[in-house]
Amino acid sequence: MYIINIILWSALTIGLYYAGKLFGRKFPAWWSSPLLTAPILLITIALVFHVSYKEYISGTRWMITMLAPATVAFAIPIYEQRALIRKHWFLLAGGVIVGSITAMVSSWFLAELFGLNDQLRLSLLPRSLSTPFALIVSGEIGGTQGLTAVFVIITGLFGATLGEILLKSLPLQSAIAKGSLFGMGAHAVGTAKAHSISSEIGAVSGLIMVLVGAVNVLAAPLIEAFLLNF
Amino acid sequence: MLRTGSVIFRKHCHTNVFTQIGLIMLFWLTGDAAVKAVGVNIPGSIAGLFLIVALLTTKQMSVHSVRLGARWFLGEMLLFFVPAVLVVLDHPELFGILGLKIFAVILLSTAVVMTATAVFVDVCYRYIGRRQ
Repeated sequence: MYIINIILWSALTIGLYYAGKLFGRKFPAWWSSPLLTAPILLITIALVFHVSYKEYISGTRWMITMLAPATVAFAIPIYEQRALIRKHWFLLAGGVIVGSITAMVSSWFLAELFGLNDQLRLSLLPRSLSTPFALIVSGEIGGTQGLTAVFVIITGLFGATLGEILLKSLPLQSAIAKGSLFGMGAHAVGTAKAHSISSEIGAVSGLIMVLVGAVNVLAAPLIEAFLLNF
Repeated sequence: MLRTGSVIFRKHCHTNVFTQIGLIMLFWLTGDAAVKAVGVNIPGSIAGLFLIVALLTTKQMSVHSVRLGARWFLGEMLLFFVPAVLVVLDHPELFGILGLKIFAVILLSTAVVMTATAVFVDVCYRYIGRRQ
């Protein structure tokens, strides 16, 4: 039964993903990303056949696990752009610090503005980090990891598209600025989008994503202390 | 004999995408084990990433041994995010007014973060460029 679960849901997920990818290539638009079309179809199927998340994920958990080696793979574009990174490490560090502070402060005040409770607010704070980092930070500052995982996904999903729109409207000159926009705002999904624009922007985005994650995990005890006194 | 063997092995490593995918996964597992052994709160994948960067920078490994595998992982990464989205099935509360509010917070905050970061970096970049 368990084996059937894995084969059935994995095949369906992979099939719908590649169908979505082909569809997106044929009709390029913000809504035709396979990361939007495939889950919508899967959710519809799950709702129609009364399949729970627990049942679905027991068959597809291995795919989420693959995000870890996918993160390792960012080493190669980072290595290939080492000259750019060595030249502009100061800018990259500045971007990570400015971005992290903006992410925390804006999430906090917007959550306050919309009247969200503390549990939601704390779970929202680390959402611009990539999943493994976000879950560590969320656990440490007292958020709910399940909710944070949802928010991370929503951020990546819509952030990547939002980034593309912002890229067209902001007068940015440097590849560093364009890459840090994606890496800071929409973690790995944004980085995948950045790679589709240029490998230079993608490499910067990947590096920023990794740095932001590491800096935030290290700063989590500080953030927690700050929140307690706020 | 041994030399030809090593040349063939190297050629295989440089051209076979499956071997490279396996190698990248091996780096992830190594990173995971290292992080657990030292007891630091950093994901194993990040340790694996820095391990590869270190080996490439010190010329202990050729970039050709991992480039194809990395291209595959980065190209298909969105697939691995798809199952994670279905977690919303467990959170029906997100489909109401509350969901809209959260969505607004995420979208606005992400726009602010992206704009602030990119404009800051770009302004500094131009300032440094003008001084040089």
